[in-house]
Amino acid sequence: MSTILRSLQNLRRSGIKNALHQMQNIGDTKAGTLIGTDKFGNKYYENLKDELPLRTRWVDYKVSFPEWEPSQLAPGWHAWISYMVDKPPTEDPILQTGVRSWEIPEHRPNPTMGRGSFKTYSTVKPKITAWDPSKIATRS
Amino acid sequence: MFTTRSAASLALRVKPSASLVPYRSIAALSNTAVKPATEVEQHNGPTSTNGLPLSVTGKVKREVLLSSQEGKKGVMQYALTTLDQVANWARQSSLWPMTFGLACCAVEMMHLSTPRYDQDRLGIIFRASPRQSDVMIVAGTLTNKMAPALRQVYDQMPEPRWVISMGSCANGGGYYHYSYSVTRGCDRIVPVDIYVPGCPPTSEALMYGIFQLQRKMRHTKITRMWYRK
Repeated sequence: MSTILRSLQNLRRSGIKNALHQMQNIGDTKAGTLIGTDKFGNKYYENLKDELPLRTRWVDYKVSFPEWEPSQLAPGWHAWISYMVDKPPTEDPILQTGVRSWEIPEHRPNPTMGRGSFKTYSTVKPKITAWDPSKIATRS
Repeated sequence: MFTTRSAASLALRVKPSASLVPYRSIAALSNTAVKPATEVEQHNGPTSTNGLPLSVTGKVKREVLLSSQEGKKGVMQYALTTLDQVANWARQSSLWPMTFGLACCAVEMMHLSTPRYDQDRLGIIFRASPRQSDVMIVAGTLTNKMAPALRQVYDQMPEPRWVISMGSCANGGGYYHYSYSVTRGCDRIVPVDIYVPGCPPTSEALMYGIFQLQRKMRHTKITRMWYRK
């Protein structure tokens, strides 16, 4: 959201519904070509002509505003949107997933604070004990 | 699948709740079908005499809804959810970190406040006083000599307070784990909310950690837990 003219121009290009959606999600109106959609439903756009450098590629997340995060992007698309590669994974054979034997079958987003998050689990008796203030010894 | 289930085990289950739809969780990302806790599939495990499935320890299995799957019931819960949302929004959008820069991680923490990453746009302002701050970023190696000072600073912070442990030294001693003078992780001194891995983590990593902390704040049930009590 730089100038009123640019906002209005992008609103006219992308349509009122899309512009409101963008204001709700990325806080800016942007117009560009749809490069592709990953298997999670995130849409990737590019506009090399009108946008400033490092703002030319952006994503419209499937998940709505406060809950989206970059770990939800498919790995190849993440490389593309971070300017690590020039071509999107739909065109680049190196970015194809599922061709190597050690790959996990699908990309998993960050499981922090979810059901799949890491929980420390140990059946060994702990080597350290916490200090209990109620059992303090009185000084003689 | 339904044919293998006995009527008694079906009667035990909680009714499937329709409240799953408004939750925009990570589950919305998954391309597999939604599988709520009520729909846990039956394994051909041991069953008791009256046909109920048994757990590993020999008790009758019960399926319990997750806390995120519980719907909102009654006026009070709706009101308190809105209250929580307002309070969480206020909390997450003006984080004032207490800077506890101890080593090289502090340099990356400083980069977060410089124009490239620009933490001010997120409402994050470094405070020098623990009495005015909400979150403490422990950045760097915590030595045994510094540990009492860290605890004292943490105790001076007002509630609600959070701690971000930044870098492998603060997470678990890291490179200095076997040193005689280093605390093996700042979680031995203070309760830690977010661990940021790395040696040192980049500024992006710390910013991602802050976003995770904001997510944690957003899902905190402040007044709802108070009302439940």
